[in-house]
Amino acid sequence: MPKFKKRFNIKGRDFIRAGEASINVQNLLKSMDFNPRLIRRVAICGYESEMNVVMHGGDGSLSLEVDTDRLILKISDDGPGIEDIELAMQAGYSTANDDYREMGFGAGMGLPNMKKNSDQIHIESKKNQGTVVRMVFFLPEGGKTD
Amino acid sequence: MISENTSTGYVRFDQNLCVGCGSCLRVCPTKAIRVKSKKAIRIVEQCIGCGECIRTCREGAVSAATEGPELLERDHVAIALVSPVLYAQFPGVMPKDVLLGLRQMGFEHTIDMSYFLEIFQFATEEFISRNRKSQIAPWPLISPVCPVVVRLIAFRFPNLLPNVLPVLRPVALMAREVKSRLIPEYNKKGKDVVLYYINPCPTKIETACLPVRKQPASTEIALGINDIYPELIKHVDQIEAAEGIPFYQTRFEYETCATGNASMWGMSGGEIADMDIDKSLAVSGMEETIRYLEKIELGLFQDIEYIEFRTCREGCLGGVLNAIDKYLAKGAVQKMIKRFGLGRRLHRDNILRMYEKGEFRSEKKPSKLTRLFGAQKEALSIDSMHKIEKVMEVIKGTDCTACGAPDCRTFAEDVVRGNAALKECLFVAARTGKKG
Repeated sequence: MPKFKKRFNIKGRDFIRAGEASINVQNLLKSMDFNPRLIRRVAICGYESEMNVVMHGGDGSLSLEVDTDRLILKISDDGPGIEDIELAMQAGYSTANDDYREMGFGAGMGLPNMKKNSDQIHIESKKNQGTVVRMVFFLPEGGKTD
Repeated sequence: MISENTSTGYVRFDQNLCVGCGSCLRVCPTKAIRVKSKKAIRIVEQCIGCGECIRTCREGAVSAATEGPELLERDHVAIALVSPVLYAQFPGVMPKDVLLGLRQMGFEHTIDMSYFLEIFQFATEEFISRNRKSQIAPWPLISPVCPVVVRLIAFRFPNLLPNVLPVLRPVALMAREVKSRLIPEYNKKGKDVVLYYINPCPTKIETACLPVRKQPASTEIALGINDIYPELIKHVDQIEAAEGIPFYQTRFEYETCATGNASMWGMSGGEIADMDIDKSLAVSGMEETIRYLEKIELGLFQDIEYIEFRTCREGCLGGVLNAIDKYLAKGAVQKMIKRFGLGRRLHRDNILRMYEKGEFRSEKKPSKLTRLFGAQKEALSIDSMHKIEKVMEVIKGTDCTACGAPDCRTFAEDVVRGNAALKECLFVAARTGKKG
């Protein structure tokens, strides 16, 4: 069976609608009756990455792939990119400015949180060439129960 | 399989009045309504009793599945369980006079909720302060007071059921007290007792899951505030017009003791305003409630300890079964608070002793709720997701609702599940040139 794919757009700096793509992903997974804990993990990763795009990345998209044995979240943007990925993965490291910190963001926990909640994470980024984050969530033995 | 009907356990529907306009379609938060052959049909299992369809229907075709006050004329002992929202329907009238009016209408006892609201506040504060150390429940805790919110969570956000505060709702505490103290007395005398819940919303009171060891014999009936208002206001007007203060006696401390603290509960924020909690929020209105629940599911608001949700705007004063406008009622409440002040009358120590014994713990199992309201539909497979996308491409959605579904995505799902035909979409029919 072919994979099911769905893509949602993310608009940079739009804090009012920020989170919508993740909510859509979450609702999709709910209608397919995935394990609630898995949905929560995917949703948290989706939201963290979506916020990264909204804050740093300019415009981008969040796409979900549903396969029989795994879910894949792919977030891409055309923003400034990440200079040092290893450094960015460290808890507490942040490049957020004071405005974002005042809004309660920029604690430097985004990427570490995504790593913690996904089974695999792969980041591709170069300075000024945008960022692509790919996260994989393996489904339990036997795949989706349907 | 889903069962379709025009009425559910919460709302009643009059086929003859429905014009099939579809305004109820769009407001239903669980997408339980379809219009078929110009009549609104409900998917019974998906109705959570929020009353939004009652509120929006201009034809008056939808009403609450509550009973009328004519039942009072039957031969039984009638006990009124009164929500403080009732007092707000009578601006300038003292709560005790409203209760007296109820007694003149034929209620033997009128039980005020203030006492139980205070118990609930103490128990909630205690649970939250303990949870700071034990972390048994996840933050933010969600108020269990609005039953529609709890059912909405069970239906659309089952992930958040562990966040619902496991303390018995004030109305449940009230019912338990009445059942264990009042009803046995009458049962001994061989009299039938009927409990009347006087409500601002069309929800039923599920007392079956109350931790009462021996359930005494009694019947429970829900009355809408607007069901009794026309009769009650006559009595209240008479009492107000009477010279001198009418004398009356009550036997139980909770029969006449409305407070400012309690009357505030009708407003959004009234539950948390006087609570001893560091970080709390009050959210009201169906749309806002859903938006917040979605965000909590994404992991937000974990720095907040308690959130009071009410699906009606402005809180219970905005309930669909109220008799007067919510802003007028709010004004009345604000005057009452000014007059009575906000102090509590119960002693924390007494309540804590009962708390230790586990008397306020809600035994409601989240899994039971999910079975009741969630997981009604069969899960969609990858294959059906593809099919839904294809249908969406064909109908090029504008969410016009002419097909009788609340939106294109729901229609597409109905088609894939075999509950609707593609040609019911006007755009598809127009393009193929033939009418189905």
